[in-house]
Amino acid sequence: MIKSLNTAATGMAAQQNNMDVIANNIANVSTNGFKKSRAEFEDLLYHTEKEPGTATGANSYSPNGVQTGLGVKTAAVQKDFDSGSAVISKNPLDMMIEGSGFFQILTPDGQLAYTRDGSFRKDATGKIVDKNGNILQPEITLPPNVKGIEISNAGEVRVIQGLSDVPAPIGQIDIANFVNPAGLRAMGKNLFMQTPSSGQPVVSRPGLNGTGALAQGQLEASNVNIVDEMVNMITAQRAYETNSKVIQTADQMLQSTNNMR
Amino acid sequence: MSTKGVYTALSGAMAQSLKLDTIANNIANVNTPAFKRDQQVFNEYLSANEKSPTVIQVPRVPASVESFYDMQGGDKSFVDAKGTFTDFSQGSLKRTGNPLDVAINGKGFFEVATPQGVRLTRSGNFTLDGNGRLVTKEGHPVLSASGDSAADPSTRSIQISGGAPVTISDSGEVLEGNENRGKLSIINVEKPDSLQKMGHQLYGFKSNVNAEITNMPNATVQGGHLEMSNINVVKEMTDMIQTHRVFESTQKAISAYDSMSDKLVNVVGKTGL
Repeated sequence: MIKSLNTAATGMAAQQNNMDVIANNIANVSTNGFKKSRAEFEDLLYHTEKEPGTATGANSYSPNGVQTGLGVKTAAVQKDFDSGSAVISKNPLDMMIEGSGFFQILTPDGQLAYTRDGSFRKDATGKIVDKNGNILQPEITLPPNVKGIEISNAGEVRVIQGLSDVPAPIGQIDIANFVNPAGLRAMGKNLFMQTPSSGQPVVSRPGLNGTGALAQGQLEASNVNIVDEMVNMITAQRAYETNSKVIQTADQMLQSTNNMR
Repeated sequence: MSTKGVYTALSGAMAQSLKLDTIANNIANVNTPAFKRDQQVFNEYLSANEKSPTVIQVPRVPASVESFYDMQGGDKSFVDAKGTFTDFSQGSLKRTGNPLDVAINGKGFFEVATPQGVRLTRSGNFTLDGNGRLVTKEGHPVLSASGDSAADPSTRSIQISGGAPVTISDSGEVLEGNENRGKLSIINVEKPDSLQKMGHQLYGFKSNVNAEITNMPNATVQGGHLEMSNINVVKEMTDMIQTHRVFESTQKAISAYDSMSDKLVNVVGKTGL
């Protein structure tokens, strides 16, 4: 049968995949610390009908073979770790990393996960936890009757208990950085997990070793640019339509072949 | 009566079907970065002469009823796929903001070390692997211009430590903070016809063709940008319509031969009785 039917089908599948990625980006336009993704494509193998460089006579070679490509596939869905814009929240436990780095969080199954979403709160025992109750690492317990919380640029947490007290240090928030953050696996709930392609985490004080400093009372908004996404959506939709036209044409060619008799 | 012409029409239909396969691949890759469009080229292929060339009268006698029989089959030719040509013209650049995306301005290719040897690519959507090497989406290391070109290509990979943001300068230097981690190797192929597509956005060299490779130390690149494919959808759609219609016409010719044979067998045969 005509190869172009399958070739165009791979094109439609790739654009569908593209559309799925764009839909997820747009859906998360207001998610704190969300990092947009982008589907990337590459061509499939080529079917060689005539080898290039075959002899066509004495001392003459055909300069070009006959090759037809077999379509396209999604090579990668690349995360873009550009910073999102800052949103002032005035909540003392909201933090934003101004640069690269991730907060470390202990998930219920005992593994470390990493997040850029810095909206923390305290649980019933005074521990600093994320929205889902996972404990921020290293663990920090706020004493009862806290009047004020201060988090420095370098991640030092200090509390004021009495009105005349000097702020007393109670812990230190360290952040983790990766050689290749784009290699992290997204787990949902704004969490990422380490993979062999992300490399080992390097834990350091905020602001050191290339990590960003902490900013208290701010949240990092999603880095999705809605205009970009709309343009990508239009191109994805039109490319999908064009591929379906190829299938129609191939189908009509087969139909007219069948109608010869 | 000869019905050999039906095979000539058939070769035309097969050629158009091959052309549609190429168009389908171009359209499927419309959003593939730095994809270059392919074009199928056909030529006339004379069918075997019925007599050896030495026997054929040269010069031929002037056209007459007799000379019709002197064509010796040379009037019938077939369409044959001659070659697939790749159009290496520049695609448009699209800003992505990703610092590891890089597009080449003008001619040139990046060098990539694959397990099968060094391959070329223009698709600059690079990333880092877990060890901090600059790699393609398939995980093959991108090569730097420094070092011994005869040595093992993997010794020319570009290593990033991850301590500072990475940027790529206009001359292709990979900078980590202020530290230079190597210059992207960009080479020019004087005869792009000597390149063969290998899939995965990679190009290899054809055998028997001298590629005439030169280094391009002064090539300029654009960091934070990707080269888009050079597919023009309007052109591809027009080609597709034309291919479709030519295909239908060749089928009409086949049908005509069919009805001629039908007449020959059923009508001429009947009047003979």
